[in-house]
Amino acid sequence: MREGLMLFPLLFVVVVLLLVPLGTLGWSSLREPGAAGGWTWENYARFFASASARRALGNSLGISLGVAVVSTLLCLAPAWLLAGRDFRGKRWVRAILTLPMAFSGIIIGFLTVIMLGRIGVVPRAFEALTGLDWLQGAAYGFGGILVAYLYFEIPRATLTLEAALRKFDPRWTMAAATLGASPWQRARLVTLPLVLPALLSTFAVTFGASLGSFGVVLVISRRVSLTPLQIFDEVFAFSNFEAAAAMSVVLVVLGFAMNFFLRGLASRLLAHRA
Amino acid sequence: MTKNIPALLAAAAAFALPALAQEKTVIQYDCIPNYANWGGVTALYLKETGVRVPPDPKGSSATMAALEKEQANPQADVAYYSGAIGFQATTKGLHQPYKPKGFDQIPADLKDPEGKWWTVHTGHIAILVNVPALKGKPVPKSFADLLKPDYKGLVVYSDPTVQGTAFTFVYGINAIMGGGPDMAKGFDYLKRLDANILAYPREDSYNDLVRGEVPIWINADGNGLKAKHVDKAPIETVVAEEGTIVMPLVMAMVKGAPRGDEAKKYLDWLLGPSAQKTMAESFFRPVMPVDLGPDLASKFPPASAYSKARTLPLDQMAANADAVKARWVKEIKGSR
Repeated sequence: MREGLMLFPLLFVVVVLLLVPLGTLGWSSLREPGAAGGWTWENYARFFASASARRALGNSLGISLGVAVVSTLLCLAPAWLLAGRDFRGKRWVRAILTLPMAFSGIIIGFLTVIMLGRIGVVPRAFEALTGLDWLQGAAYGFGGILVAYLYFEIPRATLTLEAALRKFDPRWTMAAATLGASPWQRARLVTLPLVLPALLSTFAVTFGASLGSFGVVLVISRRVSLTPLQIFDEVFAFSNFEAAAAMSVVLVVLGFAMNFFLRGLASRLLAHRA
Repeated sequence: MTKNIPALLAAAAAFALPALAQEKTVIQYDCIPNYANWGGVTALYLKETGVRVPPDPKGSSATMAALEKEQANPQADVAYYSGAIGFQATTKGLHQPYKPKGFDQIPADLKDPEGKWWTVHTGHIAILVNVPALKGKPVPKSFADLLKPDYKGLVVYSDPTVQGTAFTFVYGINAIMGGGPDMAKGFDYLKRLDANILAYPREDSYNDLVRGEVPIWINADGNGLKAKHVDKAPIETVVAEEGTIVMPLVMAMVKGAPRGDEAKKYLDWLLGPSAQKTMAESFFRPVMPVDLGPDLASKFPPASAYSKARTLPLDQMAANADAVKARWVKEIKGSR
C-alpha cells in the first residue's frame, strides 16, 4: 500500500504534464479553426499537401539523423574513457560536459553566431590564415545548424553512453583473449555485440532531442526551415493553432516511433545475447 | 547541508515574498529595450513611480498571436505594435477602449475614435548602415542600391511575420516602387533583394547592427539615429531616395487586463511630457507636441529627407496583413 502511495506523485506528473498536454494537442489538431468548428482531418491533409512543410520535415529528419549518427560515433571514445578509466580531473571533464546541456537553445544560437557568424571568430581566423572568406556566415546554413546541434548533443550522447558502458564487464574481453581471440575478433565478436544496445539507445536519445530542438534554429536558421520553426511560425505569425497542433502531433509520432523501434531493436539484441 | 535546506528555503522566502508582494508591475507585450528606447522609457517609469514594466521580446505579430491565445485568461495589460498590426488586433477584438490623458490632442488619423488604439510616436522605414562593416564599399543611398551585387550577403530585414516594422517595409515597398493593389512591384523588388539577404531574423537585430554582424538593416530610422547619437556606434541612417513609409507606433489596452488600474496610469504617463521627451531622445517622433530643444532637433534628419514619405491607410494594411505575410513566406522565404 505504501508503495502505491509513493507512485502517486509520478502518476500525477504523468497525467498532468504528459497525457493532458498531449491529449489537448491531439484534440485541437482534429478541430476546425475557430470556436464553432467541428471535427476534421483538414489540418493533417494540408500539412502533407504543402511542399514547404514536407521539405521542412525532411530537413528535420535529415539533420536529426545526421546529428545522431555523428554524435554517437564521436562520443564513443570519451564515453569509453569516462566509463572504464580513472584519471585525474575526471569529475571536471564530466562537469564541463554537462555545461552545453544547461544552456538554452537560444543562447547556443547566439554562441554559434559569435563563433561562425559573418564576423564570427572562426571565419575571421580562417580568412586571416588563408585569405579565403568561405566560412563567412557559416552559422546561417546547414553547417551552422549541424555544428550547433553537435555542440549540445555530443555531451548528451557521451553521458548517456557512459552510463550504459559502465555495466560493461571487461572480463568478457579478457576471457576472449585467453581463448586466443585477436584484438579485431574481440572487438567484433565480444565488445560490439555487448555495446550495441547502448549505442542504439544513445542514438535514439540524441535523435529525439534534435528532432524537437527549437531555440538554436530560431536564432540561426536563415533559409533552412525545420518543422519546429514552422510550428512556431504557424502560432506566432498566423495564429493557426490547429495547424500547429497537427504539425506537433506528426513530430511527436515520428520521434516516438523512432525511439520505440530503436529500443525494441536494442532489447531484442539483449534478449538474443542472453 | 541537507538539514539546512528548509532553513535556506525559509530565508529565501522571507526575502523574496515581500519583494514580490510590494513590487507593482504592468505587463507590456512587445517591449524590446533597444526598439524606440523602451529600455530607457520603462527605466524612467520605474524611477518616477516604482512600477516595473519588464522587457518583452515579442514583435507586433507575435504579440497579437499571444493575446489571441490568452483571450480567455489574459496575462498582459498593454500592447505596443506597428500601426497596421495594432489595427488588425483591434479588429480581432483583443483590446478594450481607453482614452488616456491627452488622447484628444492626437491627430484623428493616428487613433481609433473609441480609444481601442492610439499612436505614441511615429517612425519611418530607413536603411541603417554600419559603415566600417562595409569595408570601403559606398553607403547605399536608395532601395535600388541595395540590389547591387556589392551588397551580397550584407542586407538584413527582420521576419515580417513576427516583427511589425519589417511588415511595414514589406507592405510599403510596393507603394515606394509605384506598385498597384496586386503588390507585384513590391514582391518583385523583394525577390531581387533576396539575393543579397544575409538573414530574416525573428528577433531584434539592433545589437548585431552595432557589432557589425549585420552591416545593413532595414528598420526604423529612430533606431539607427539612437545607435549613432546615444550609443556612439558608426551607424548611418539613410532615408532612401525613392521615398519612405511613415509608421505610426501604437499602444492599446488589452481586453481583460489583469492589472487594469496600473495599466491606465502607465498609458496616461506614456503620453505625458517626460515619456514623450524620452522617446524623442531615441529619435522616434512624439505624437504629443513636446519641445525638443535645438540640440536634439538638429540631430534629426532635415524635413527635406522625408519629402517623399508616404502614409498608408492602416485599415487596408490590416485587412491584407495575413495575405501579405503568407505570400512573403511562400514567395520569398520559401523560394530556395
